[in-house]
Amino acid sequence: MSFVVRQIALKSSGEEIVRSSNYGMREMTVGRDSACAIHLPDLAVNPVHARIALGADGLLTVTATTEQPFEVNGRSTRQAEVDPAVGGELAFGGHRIAVSQDEDGATPVLTVRRVEAVSDSAEDRDIGAAYSLKGLLPGKRLSAWGFSLLVLFAFLALPLYSYMSAKPLAMQADARRADGFHADETWTSGPLSVSHKALNDDCQACHTQAFVAVTDKACLTCHTKDAHDHISDKARLVQSRGEPTGMAAMQRAVAGAFNRPAGRCVDCHTEHEGAGAMPATQQQFCADCHNGMKGRLPDTKIADAADFGTAHPQFRPMIISGMDGDKPLLKRVAWSADLQEDNGLKFTHGQHLSKTNGIAQMVRRMPGQFTGKDALQCADCHATDSSGTRFQPVKMEESCQSCHSLSFDQIGGTTRTLRHGEPAMVVADLRAFYRGTAPARPANLSGMARRVPGDAALRSTAADYARAVRFYPGGADQAINQVFSKGGMCNDCHVVTRGGTTQTAGFAIQPVAQNDRYFRKGWFDHKAHVQADCAECHTGAATSNKATDLLVPGIDGKGGCRTCHVGGEGAKLASVSVKDPVDSSCAMCHSYHMDAGAPWVPKNDRKKAAGQTVAIAERPRFPVKLH
Amino acid sequence: MASTANKPAPGKKTGSSRKRQNTHEGFLTHNRMYWAKLSGALALALILLYIFVPLPGTHFGSSWLGYTLGTIGALLILWLTMLGMRKRAITPGRWSLKAWTSAHVYLGLLVTVVGTLHSGFYFGWNVHTLAWALMLLVVGSGIFGIYAYATLPRALSANRYDEEGAITEKQMIEALRSLDRQIHDAAQPLDAQAAVLVGQSLEQDPFGGSFWNRVTGNYPNCATRHAINELRAIRASRQRTKEDLLGKIDAQLTRKESMLERLRQHLKLKSWLQAWLYIHVPVTFALIAALSAHVVSVFFYW
Repeated sequence: MSFVVRQIALKSSGEEIVRSSNYGMREMTVGRDSACAIHLPDLAVNPVHARIALGADGLLTVTATTEQPFEVNGRSTRQAEVDPAVGGELAFGGHRIAVSQDEDGATPVLTVRRVEAVSDSAEDRDIGAAYSLKGLLPGKRLSAWGFSLLVLFAFLALPLYSYMSAKPLAMQADARRADGFHADETWTSGPLSVSHKALNDDCQACHTQAFVAVTDKACLTCHTKDAHDHISDKARLVQSRGEPTGMAAMQRAVAGAFNRPAGRCVDCHTEHEGAGAMPATQQQFCADCHNGMKGRLPDTKIADAADFGTAHPQFRPMIISGMDGDKPLLKRVAWSADLQEDNGLKFTHGQHLSKTNGIAQMVRRMPGQFTGKDALQCADCHATDSSGTRFQPVKMEESCQSCHSLSFDQIGGTTRTLRHGEPAMVVADLRAFYRGTAPARPANLSGMARRVPGDAALRSTAADYARAVRFYPGGADQAINQVFSKGGMCNDCHVVTRGGTTQTAGFAIQPVAQNDRYFRKGWFDHKAHVQADCAECHTGAATSNKATDLLVPGIDGKGGCRTCHVGGEGAKLASVSVKDPVDSSCAMCHSYHMDAGAPWVPKNDRKKAAGQTVAIAERPRFPVKLH
Repeated sequence: MASTANKPAPGKKTGSSRKRQNTHEGFLTHNRMYWAKLSGALALALILLYIFVPLPGTHFGSSWLGYTLGTIGALLILWLTMLGMRKRAITPGRWSLKAWTSAHVYLGLLVTVVGTLHSGFYFGWNVHTLAWALMLLVVGSGIFGIYAYATLPRALSANRYDEEGAITEKQMIEALRSLDRQIHDAAQPLDAQAAVLVGQSLEQDPFGGSFWNRVTGNYPNCATRHAINELRAIRASRQRTKEDLLGKIDAQLTRKESMLERLRQHLKLKSWLQAWLYIHVPVTFALIAALSAHVVSVFFYW
């Protein structure tokens, strides 16, 4: 009864060294302890790991000595029987013991072989890879492909899919993409302006065709009524623009080469520039044509303009040139410092704004009734309209009458006044007054005493009174004359002529007209200038002693617009120093389409002019019937 | 590259002295910083153009200056990407790889100026800003790479040197293997409990651990450290015998630990030198993809 134990070691060349020894015993120990018959120098093996006993039937019984198991034919166990005739493999830690039989068929042979290295570090490894990040991070090539494909999918393929899937709806006025997010929105270069907000989800409302720049047709799909041409004659438009030269010509050529034709709505009405109001058109777009236009379009009536600060013609305010009955005749004339406009009144600003004369004294005597304490202020008579842009006409009843009283009689505490604006009624009222009343009765005629001789004086009084009563109504003519003539109520303010009818006792009042807008081709907003004192611009008001003085400022000079407004690009600042320069491009005052509203305010803030309709950036929703 | 800054000047290698004459000129200072000056001048010129050129529209990609900047930027990005191809062919002279790398670095910095001016400072949640952000990420990781190349090789060298001289990567492994063999042999008489602890130290892969372990150099699951601690506790609880086997093993494990520490420091520094490229390169391709989508989208919805 014995075992043969073969210990196999490897040379560094890979060659095997076999050491064979015979053990003449029935039972052997396996373990790390060098006293063990099968000595396994392996830290994963217990000092005495197992016993191997050879039974009478030739079977080997392997029993673990401790709780720690071993492996038999790949399966972990603590006890096993192995038939050397059949063979088997035991595993202890990093060692394998192959069980077989000697050639004689009686002696079991245990072949011991180390299969695992002493330590992990002892194992072969690729040094180059071990010292790199290989295996710890996804490879650069892999992630490069991954990221690129992800980006291409999300930002190219999906947007293209959105475009293609909604393509049939494009250019149909009553069709609209479904609400919500579409992948091509990731292509937006910025949010749309307030008025086009509803189209933010619908790129194809404007970008109707792939690789074709936004066409006017797309704009006009919605803007059916409110968009019109700057001038109807396109040929003149082209002529006034002239042929571009230099840089501009190159830009035009490049734009043309990239299928981006000039002269479209969107050239000026730029979009995707933020969620506010649509931005003002750049001065350049106006100046391209209007700068030196006379040279290219000799018959034009419009003066050349390029920049408000340096190249802008003098203003041409619309003034009242005369009256056609009650209607004022208006005429545009070039502004000058001594320009006169007759509005039919004798009112002088200088007199009324004085701080020293009788008018100022009157203001001081009636504290609380006027804006100021020691003299009249502009606001005492001038009130803005509801938008604050311009001023309401001055009304006699509200602004003048507190001083320029029209009262002529008092009955029981009630003051009777003459009717303003109705000279015939004034005449009638005065006549009625003299007819319906009598001169005051002398006191000495009023007693009940009987007449006694010697009171001749009383008799004379009575006679005088009787005569006065007889002739009293005739006093009306005198009063009427007085009222309409120099020194009379009407004559204080109005120009009275002798061309009237009998109804007005032959007097006539020159019609009065108040000009509510002098600059009709440009936009001036008083509200935007509310910080300034009136006299900063209307410099002549306090000293004007002529009723016809036009106190509207011009482009230059004292109080002129250029005092602050320096033009679009501040070119003026190069030569002149301006205290508080205001950047003012064309669009600040001029609107391309020239409707009655202010330029460059969102349309819903504008006072809607009659006949103007505004397209709403909202189209009928899905589902729509497709034809 | 800067990592070569610590290599000796061409010539005979003596190997005896650590003090060397450094005649090397890195890519950062190449040709008296020609590309740095050129890029700086171009950046300044472009910024002045951006500020002073009167444009008909708002400052936006869609002006002539915007399109010009965009074209320059896109071509620059493609050219910068070509360094990956270029670096595989080493040539001397005017267009040497060093010159090319120097240009790559400084023109790469310039591209942020070009891209940002092209954006006109309009940003939003769209493919255009995505491309811009990816560009910044690529340039940012590149800047980090330059920082790593300029500073870490010095630390890498310092870590490899000790009083016995320098140690190579191969020698580090050999040293570990030797220590492991010694520990293995010494540990044979140990009882099962202690043997398992030592065995864990031997079985642990010295190059193991996650990416995080690598870049921090912090290995909380280090089996060697664990074995040292546990064996010390066992040793403290036992009676001292004349033959202090545990003490011997402790000394060997401690030597292994210090070797491991050096290896790990080495791995950490090397990972920092390499990791930025794992962002720089893939994001570059993501950027090119975003750039393509950006260009297509602009012309598609013209």
